Amino acid sequence: MKYAFFVGCTVLSRLPGYEKSARKVAEKLGVELVDMPGSSCCGTTYMETLDRKTALALAARNIAIAEEMGLDIVTVCNGCTENLTKTNKALKEDPALRAEVNEILAETGKQFKGTVNVKHYVRMLKEDVGLDRVKAASVKPFKGLRVGAHYGCHLLKPTDEMLYEDPNDPKVLDDLIRATGAESVDYPGKTECCAGPVMGIREKVTWDVGMGKVETVKKHADAMATCCPFCYITYERCQFMTETNPNLPVVHIPQLLGLAMGLTANEVGLSTNKVDASALLAKQEA
Amino acid sequence: MEQSEIRITAEGKNFRNEIMATHGADKLMHCYQCGTCTSDCPVAKRVPEFRPRNIARLAIYGQKDRLLDGDLVWLCAGCYTCYERCPQKVHVSEIVSALRQLALREGKIHPTIKSIVTTIPRLGYISEIGEFENEMRGEDGLPPAPTPAIEEIKAIMRKTGILGRVGGD
Repeated sequence: MKYAFFVGCTVLSRLPGYEKSARKVAEKLGVELVDMPGSSCCGTTYMETLDRKTALALAARNIAIAEEMGLDIVTVCNGCTENLTKTNKALKEDPALRAEVNEILAETGKQFKGTVNVKHYVRMLKEDVGLDRVKAASVKPFKGLRVGAHYGCHLLKPTDEMLYEDPNDPKVLDDLIRATGAESVDYPGKTECCAGPVMGIREKVTWDVGMGKVETVKKHADAMATCCPFCYITYERCQFMTETNPNLPVVHIPQLLGLAMGLTANEVGLSTNKVDASALLAKQEA
Repeated sequence: MEQSEIRITAEGKNFRNEIMATHGADKLMHCYQCGTCTSDCPVAKRVPEFRPRNIARLAIYGQKDRLLDGDLVWLCAGCYTCYERCPQKVHVSEIVSALRQLALREGKIHPTIKSIVTTIPRLGYISEIGEFENEMRGEDGLPPAPTPAIEEIKAIMRKTGILGRVGGD
């Protein structure tokens, strides 16, 4: 299995623990992630709300790079997944729109052809690698660890574009958490948004929404696991914005998978998590 | 509570039509004001003035100033909960996108969003990933980040005219 690896700005610049663990876990599972030369920002989820053509062209340019590599794309960011998936679908289905976007892309010497697919890393693990193989690779499983999954919005929504699991009853993160031996707990508000995109507009709204979920998860679980860089940043940072820091560890899902697969804390970049997550290590079978 | 009277003017009708001509916003008039969007909105739970139902109502009446003044249309988190749950498929999130585009035309882009948009052609990313960042990546055992083809990104954004419109070119 081989994919073009679209890491995305935020993970590249701010979340080495996510990227490191995603690469290592892929390696453990025999999945080759190939970097995409010349790739850039996916366009951001904001761009689509401002100018659809720009959003489509920026995303299509990245897709065209993967097409030249002859590989499907795997991303580790919900926002990138949404932008690239939506663009891929729109341009594959609408030849007139594709022609228009290709005319913009002509400036770059690249063309969108519609020959590859886009998947989030967690979807790739479940659909292409398979949960059985993930579970079999978990040679150092967790025991008695309760984890609250947070999916984020753009892995699943809009459903008519993402064509993946039901956002009211998603499964993939729960499935992956269980594959590590940990318990995936249900909690009220599990499918709600982190409000991260409002951080730059009214910061306090994001911290309040974030803390609401952190406090709920804290009642039911030992840690929270995410698959989106923005949700991760929200739930981590909001805890430092209050006087009563609840100290709930937030981990990237491949960090949890990696530890269960016998990778060291350093190999999954656990020291880069701002809320100390080392307590997780005590809940692993020897 | 006393409601202030709102009437639709010719100007308002024109604004409404402009909203509805935007991608995804054509079902505005199907809104029957049930309020599902507002009851499920994560931002509305914390921000009293952010009411997706009210945004739809003001849009139907073409209330341009009430919609575009201040940071109202920039408060949407883009979570698509209203999009998914609207029984009429009005997609208030797409109405908000239409309003952002019309705000942009009036030169009313939120400074945070402007800064994100103008950073992309400057860095190729939304955050700095230069020599220092790549050195840090190296220490973490990660390969250097792909060097983005900045000239290509600039060319795209010049061609679509977005840079001129956000006041960044």
